[in-house]
Amino acid sequence: MTQPVLRAENLGKMFADRSSLFLGRSSGGVQAVDNVSLEVRPGETLAVVGESGCGKSTLGRLLLRLIEPSAGKIFLEGTEVSSLSRSEFRHFRKRAQMVFQDPYGSLSPRRTIAQIIAEPLEVFGMAGSRQQTRERVAELLTQVGLSPSIMDRLPRQFSGGQRQRICIARAISVNPSFVVADEPVSALDVSVQAQVINLMQDLQKEKGFSFLFIAHDLAVVRHMAHRVAVMYLGQIVEIGDKSTIYGAPHHPYTEALLSAAPEAKLKKDRKRIVLQGDVPSPRKVPSGCRFRTRCPIAADICTQHEPPLQTLPDGHQVACHFAKPFPIMQN
Amino acid sequence: MTNLLEINDLCVEFGPAGHAIKVLHNVNLSIAHGEAVGLVGESGSGKSITSLSVLRLLSEPPGRITSGKIVFEGRNLLDLPRSDMPAIRGREIAMIFQEPMSSLNPVMTIGAQLSEAIMLHSEQNESQRKKRILELLKLVGIPEPEARLKQYPHEFSGGMRQRVMIAMSLACDPKLLIADEPTTALDVTIQAQVLDLLRQLRERVGMAVLLISHDLGVVADVCDRVVVMYAGHVVEDADIASLFDNPKHPYTRGLLSAVPSLSDTRERLYQIPGSVPAPGSVKRGCPFYDRCDLRKDICNNEMPPLHAHSSTHKAACWVTSSDAEAVSQSGVTT
Repeated sequence: MTQPVLRAENLGKMFADRSSLFLGRSSGGVQAVDNVSLEVRPGETLAVVGESGCGKSTLGRLLLRLIEPSAGKIFLEGTEVSSLSRSEFRHFRKRAQMVFQDPYGSLSPRRTIAQIIAEPLEVFGMAGSRQQTRERVAELLTQVGLSPSIMDRLPRQFSGGQRQRICIARAISVNPSFVVADEPVSALDVSVQAQVINLMQDLQKEKGFSFLFIAHDLAVVRHMAHRVAVMYLGQIVEIGDKSTIYGAPHHPYTEALLSAAPEAKLKKDRKRIVLQGDVPSPRKVPSGCRFRTRCPIAADICTQHEPPLQTLPDGHQVACHFAKPFPIMQN
Repeated sequence: MTNLLEINDLCVEFGPAGHAIKVLHNVNLSIAHGEAVGLVGESGSGKSITSLSVLRLLSEPPGRITSGKIVFEGRNLLDLPRSDMPAIRGREIAMIFQEPMSSLNPVMTIGAQLSEAIMLHSEQNESQRKKRILELLKLVGIPEPEARLKQYPHEFSGGMRQRVMIAMSLACDPKLLIADEPTTALDVTIQAQVLDLLRQLRERVGMAVLLISHDLGVVADVCDRVVVMYAGHVVEDADIASLFDNPKHPYTRGLLSAVPSLSDTRERLYQIPGSVPAPGSVKRGCPFYDRCDLRKDICNNEMPPLHAHSSTHKAACWVTSSDAEAVSQSGVTT
């Protein structure tokens, strides 16, 4: 088996309460990511889905050490990078890049497109002469479907979709092997969204990097991903191949998420499971299975025992005492 | 039967006279009693401007309604003095917005805000009002209403806040509820709850709904009919079945095939080239001309009128409407 590009073992992040530091007592905090293990294989897209507050963005940032994990290990291309010092880690930064959700907030308004895209090249000492850098920027702009003639303009002259292309050009400028894309298309209009999705798929095929694709739109995920991880309150409740997750999800939460997604087509007697209530606060995680307060099939055992993430014969993993296939999507 | 609401040839522009930018071009839209109509379009298509115009909530200036009529139950709202509008807002037509937090007052309890809404529009005493509030909170599915009405908006989650907003809008039994992207800020499972609620309320209360959304899936869930807007024009108006089965406008077709679906096995998404034109940049002709793969010369010169393909399906496209005519004519002659 080939070595995964990225592997996380028992990764956790606890955000301490400010007041607890101040008062000198440990009243705990929020366990945003709790004991998450996953691996991303070369050239694949692993999507992380879940509702707001489930920890999917925190997970993405942990993997790039944009925030420091409070537990667990991260291996990037076989090297453990979680215990490296910040300066040692810098060498690995160019292997792992990020595209953010908001293309308005993630580009400096006062720098030209050329400066923005060339910055990672300069930071990692990959820039040559001024002329070479400009040639490289022109090449990158062409790759993301923009005209090289725009490189001396400022971000404000571009639409959301064009800005997201610029962000993608910046991320791939240093030839990373792993890219985290945190909701890269959710701020875009529908007609532009398809353009950016197609672009990301084309670039991935061409360059062979792996994606960690964080999203809440299950239809977009189905299109982009090879494998899908479903998160609920900081933990992965189900992870597996796209065909299994969409064809026969085993966790009742996955099933409910899929049935709740609105579809731009006529209702064909699709049975919809409407979950009761809201996601509990991550400060008050329910005992036992954390999904039990909203679960339609919860039983006594779910209150007492936390279900482990068990691996099924087909290699797909699920954390539920009553894991069974829910055949909800008929194609 | 006459329609509950009829918007006829509504034109709206922004900016100083002489340099004004036209953002709505002859918008026509009707809603029957009890009907749920979806208004779909991307950002800048004019869907929110249309709904704000109905309630005369458009900020004037810089906005200006230059022509057209908005007829609600036989009265043209544009002819009414502004001082008559508060009696219509809330009592006849209610509106809910995308971000429920910014629509609620953070320093007033939910109960006080609901009470205020009722007080403004009817003459009930305090105990009647309280009874009505509890009834409304139960109607929108808020558990423990007695305890909840003493709480402040920050103690409510996003979905619960949107329920409060819906309760408030229902306070005076409006005949029409305008919901502007009511679930866009919510998570999928919560969105499903709110859409479910809207559907149930329609059945129970019988009010008409104008649901504004960029998401065709949300609209498919709740509405009977869909109106598609592009760059300030209504480009298609159809019952939901024909819109999804047989879209007539190239923009609608493009939108439908650009959206990935859960049962989709396509390798690649269809993409509409280019992006939405900036307001005011299309001087004549069809605003979709630059992005359209069916375009002909006439499209660049003249805006196509809404052509009726059937009694419930209209689209503004020269190409698909002339095809339709050619087909129906050849059907007659042969």
